[in-house]
Amino acid sequence: MYEWSDEHKMIRDAVRAFVEAEVRPLREELEFGDTPPYEVIRKLYSTFGMDQMARDGFKKRLEAEATPATEDDTAVEGEERASGGQGGFMLLPIIELCRCSPGLVTAMGVSVGLAAGTIMSRGTAAQKERWALDLLTFDKVGAWAITEPDSGSDAFGRMQSTARRDGDEYILNGQKTFITNGPYADTTIFICKLDEGNPPQERKILSFVLDKGMPGFEQTQSMRKMGMHSSPTGMLFLDDVRAGKDRLLGETEDVPYREGAKQAFSVERTGVAAMSLGIIERCLDLCVAYAKETVRFGKPIGDHQLIQEKLARMEVHRLNTENLVFRALEKGAAGVPMDLTEASAMKLYTARAATEVALEAVQLHGGNGYMAEFEVEQLARDAKVLQIYAGTDEIQISQIARSLLA
Amino acid sequence: MNIVVTVKQIPDPAVPGELNPDHTLKREGKLILDESDSYGVEMALQLVDKAGGGDVILVSMAPNGEVSGLRTALAMGAAKAILVSDDALHGADALTTAKVLAKCVERAGDVDLVITATEATDGYTGTIPAQVAELLDWPSLTFSKEIEIADSKAKVQRQTEAGYDVVEAPLPAVVSVTAGVVEPRYPSFKGIMAAKSKPVDQVTTADLGLGTDDITPNQKIVSVEAAPAREAGEKIEDEGDAYERVVQFLEQLKVI
Ligand SMILES: Cc1cc2nc3c(=O)[nH]c(=O)nc-3n(C[C@H](O)[C@H](O)[C@H](O)COP(=O)(O)OP(=O)(O)OC[C@H]3O[C@@H](n4cnc5c(N)ncnc54)[C@H](O)[C@@H]3O)c2cc1C
Repeated sequence: MYEWSDEHKMIRDAVRAFVEAEVRPLREELEFGDTPPYEVIRKLYSTFGMDQMARDGFKKRLEAEATPATEDDTAVEGEERASGGQGGFMLLPIIELCRCSPGLVTAMGVSVGLAAGTIMSRGTAAQKERWALDLLTFDKVGAWAITEPDSGSDAFGRMQSTARRDGDEYILNGQKTFITNGPYADTTIFICKLDEGNPPQERKILSFVLDKGMPGFEQTQSMRKMGMHSSPTGMLFLDDVRAGKDRLLGETEDVPYREGAKQAFSVERTGVAAMSLGIIERCLDLCVAYAKETVRFGKPIGDHQLIQEKLARMEVHRLNTENLVFRALEKGAAGVPMDLTEASAMKLYTARAATEVALEAVQLHGGNGYMAEFEVEQLARDAKVLQIYAGTDEIQISQIARSLLA
Repeated sequence: MNIVVTVKQIPDPAVPGELNPDHTLKREGKLILDESDSYGVEMALQLVDKAGGGDVILVSMAPNGEVSGLRTALAMGAAKAILVSDDALHGADALTTAKVLAKCVERAGDVDLVITATEATDGYTGTIPAQVAELLDWPSLTFSKEIEIADSKAKVQRQTEAGYDVVEAPLPAVVSVTAGVVEPRYPSFKGIMAAKSKPVDQVTTADLGLGTDDITPNQKIVSVEAAPAREAGEKIEDEGDAYERVVQFLEQLKVI
């Protein structure tokens, strides 16, 4: 696939119109006013029927899981595959929202992709019904908590959050930080180690589903941060929180955590590529317009070769990022999973590209670029985190190198 | 209740248009749904919803089998479309277009109401709604900002300079709706996916039973002039009394 299909373009145009009419007018409020992003995301969901699609998809998936598969029906053929199948229905809203407010995508992606995604991949049918459906339709907001003050990139290594058995129940303790949607989440996936008195490195990794307001569970206010202001980020404190087995994902202590995590990482990294594309496209559009209309030394700045070089590099990044998104889509449509190394390479490249493009966009706009009124200022602050969350650049590099040198 | 909406597919108004040597607008490439028709589509969808059943059927006349604009309206929820694409219609005038559209309404079968825009964004003749009604021999209600259907009658609020008149007519009828009176919905993703497989009945003038005589235009564009440049305004040096001049000027325009 080398271009969006006609249907994709219709979706793109419709979502773009929605973003211009419904999201852009809220930009100031979302950026500087601590307005949570959830209402406008819900509006997006209901406007385009994404909630109903999620409901239908959920029902189908649960039915399919209840009956053993007879043939592989995930792959699509021919024309549909060449146009990336239906994967674009999720990636296009990501791209379009990122042209205005990447924070909305962070909040949405964590809730739907990570929180609901984790329940859908490891939960029991009852847990899916109880928690995942409302997250998938965005009726409820989800958070996914692994990072701690003393463990980030090495999430499992130094994780201190614990679950201890107590009769039929567990007692949960620990602190989590940088948790997207943490302050508002109705449903939180809490990842911790089972403390059986054994050494920490030998402990099993478990995930629990927590509801807002459970005794001993505190969700802090939003933390101030460099960018992604429209995505609330907070800390979580657990002080002897009691959780029954019904809250243990899979209702068993024997789910291999790492395998499932890899698949989730691949999905997340594809999402980052789509986010990067939205940021890059918008920066490039703004820069081209600015380069044509701003006159310095008697000619439009676009006539100066150093500015042309910036625009050309941005276009190269745009093309490469778009191609990576197309590749991810086409693989998805063909039912060929993207392996972790490839997903890491894609995330590394696109996150760096988005940050470079957005910073160069600030440069191209001069003093205006540094002012909040000009969008590139926000996009540059927002883009930077793409190199940090969902695995830092350095972690992606080690993943790629490890697989090359294995 | 079945409603036909006449929709025009036009070159994107955001892109500077070009003229053919015979002064008609170039309509090559992708055409989009005329925004002024999106209100009619929305109104029709709401009326069918309210009636508890029926279809919204689109009729359109466009060159090269163009369906892009139709797909947009189908994605919004229209059930099917009739598209007249025929080289013989190049340069068609308003009356010819009305004849084609009226034939399409007949082809659509059991129709209770035809909704049109007041005028198209690229042509602005604004005569088609009444012409279609006359050709069908149906009553014509124009400039509606609200339509109510009850007891086999259409009751509309007809926009006037001062407010609106309430007028009604028995069904079937032709109603033209003004722009901006309803909020056209965004197509849902499901609607967009479904649009591709909704039926578009592509026909020629011959299929509609129209002969060469019927479609030979009686009008043609003989020349096109650029709009006169705006005249320079009057400059006033403010010597403390500029506000009086502003008041005078506004009084002269009878706006105050
Ligand atoms: C806006 C935002 C939202 C977030 N949302 C969530 C969320 O919803 N849920 C959640 O659980 N977490 C979330 N995080 C946390 C995020 O995943 C972590 O910040 C990230 O994984 C990095 O961990 P860290 O901050 O501890 O950095 P560290 O791991 O301390 O890294 C510090 C530096 O050391 C480098 N480094 C670390 N290990 C190595 C190595 N082996 N080799 C080379 N360099 C290395 C890193 O790349 C980095 O440059 C969020 C973070 C941010 C900023």
